Amino acid sequence: MRLPAGVEPDPRAALLALYDAALPEVYGYLLSRCGQRSLAEDLTAEVFLAAVEAVRKRPPPQLSTAWLVGVARNKLVDHWRRAEREQRGLRVVHGQAHEHEDPWDARLDAMVAREVLGELGPHHRGALILRYLDGLPVPEVARLLDRTVHATETLLVRARKAFREAYERREGRDV
Amino acid sequence: MSDPFEALWDPAMPLDPDPRFAARLRARVERALLDDVRGQTMRTQTRLRHGDVGYVTLQVPDAGRAASFYQEVLGWRYTPGASPQGREVAGVVPSHGIWGGQETRTLWACYQVDDVHDAVRRVREAGGRAEEPARRPYGLISTCADDQGLGFGVYEDAGEGLAPDGAEPGELAYLTVEVPDAARARAFYGEVFGWEFRPGNVEDGWQVHVGGAELRPMTGLLGGRERAAVVPMYAVADTHEAVARVRSLGGTSTEPERMPYGVTAECTDDQGIRFYVGDLA
Repeated sequence: MRLPAGVEPDPRAALLALYDAALPEVYGYLLSRCGQRSLAEDLTAEVFLAAVEAVRKRPPPQLSTAWLVGVARNKLVDHWRRAEREQRGLRVVHGQAHEHEDPWDARLDAMVAREVLGELGPHHRGALILRYLDGLPVPEVARLLDRTVHATETLLVRARKAFREAYERREGRDV
Repeated sequence: MSDPFEALWDPAMPLDPDPRFAARLRARVERALLDDVRGQTMRTQTRLRHGDVGYVTLQVPDAGRAASFYQEVLGWRYTPGASPQGREVAGVVPSHGIWGGQETRTLWACYQVDDVHDAVRRVREAGGRAEEPARRPYGLISTCADDQGLGFGVYEDAGEGLAPDGAEPGELAYLTVEVPDAARARAFYGEVFGWEFRPGNVEDGWQVHVGGAELRPMTGLLGGRERAAVVPMYAVADTHEAVARVRSLGGTSTEPERMPYGVTAECTDDQGIRFYVGDLA
């Protein structure tokens, strides 16, 4: 195809071409992880504007829906980090004495589990979502959270404990 | 024993957000990408003023055929369209579309106004037709026709619309509003938009100004034509090369001619739509 000078395929065009297909994936992911429409919209906008920034780089990233969902995961982590900073100091620190886990033999109710996740601090919620809802291996969770694998394992133990306590408390209240 | 937490695994399902959000975000992304391109050439853009051309669309019989033709001639790229009948040219100012299934074979221009309801009233009082305003993602719009049968639109931009400052290759550089009766058109558009007319350098040709400044993009009015139409001029990097592409694709063109403002040629595409190309100095 013959095009006038200066009109080569460029990553900017690729980003726009990808927009319609990628938008429901990115938004669907974010809404399912944060549960709030306005927050999911804000984060979705952050993802695509970050993609605009990224295509300025040379070489530009290989754009794909999966790459954008990866950016969405990072934006979500940033959000939890901001929320954690805001909440820090307000929350009562508890349950630090023993960090080993009891085996927990339970079948989680997905609806209840979602509600319980929403009650947890952003820190714990984020770690559990990445590890279990997204099904990422611990080293990948560690990379996203910018922690060592060891610190991430510790965080996950605490998060599971906080989750279990909240879940059982809720079950106790419900019966 | 399996880990109960594994039951939480949830591959998120795609979900369409609110279409208004989707349209606004797309406009933001386009704008940010456009700023990039413009940044390289240090172009400035300003908000649309009352009477400026905010949006144009080529009305053609076959949108797909036009899309291919202009892609080859002008280097247009298209954003994925919502409808097979239409195309949206990516990254140009003013915004430019192609709309198929039309035998009018003209450019359709949509003008920014401060108040659509007021503009609708003026159009009707001046002897034209205007539909009731409708809310669209880009703004509040009314589809109109002047008193010589030429269609146009008036809209209140939702805030994303920009006016061009000069034209890059592939962009609209100049508009000629052709009408049978220029005096009547001057009265009509003067009444509706407050356009002012200064004598041009061809017979019954007029330069359009608004608020003492040239309309953006630059626009002229030409009387004495058999039928009313708007004829675009597109900026190209090299008029001779553009003319060769037009001809090789089944269009026609005059020989490129040097004008005070650049080398231009008058062309017709392969569906009979007239346009100019110009490498404007």
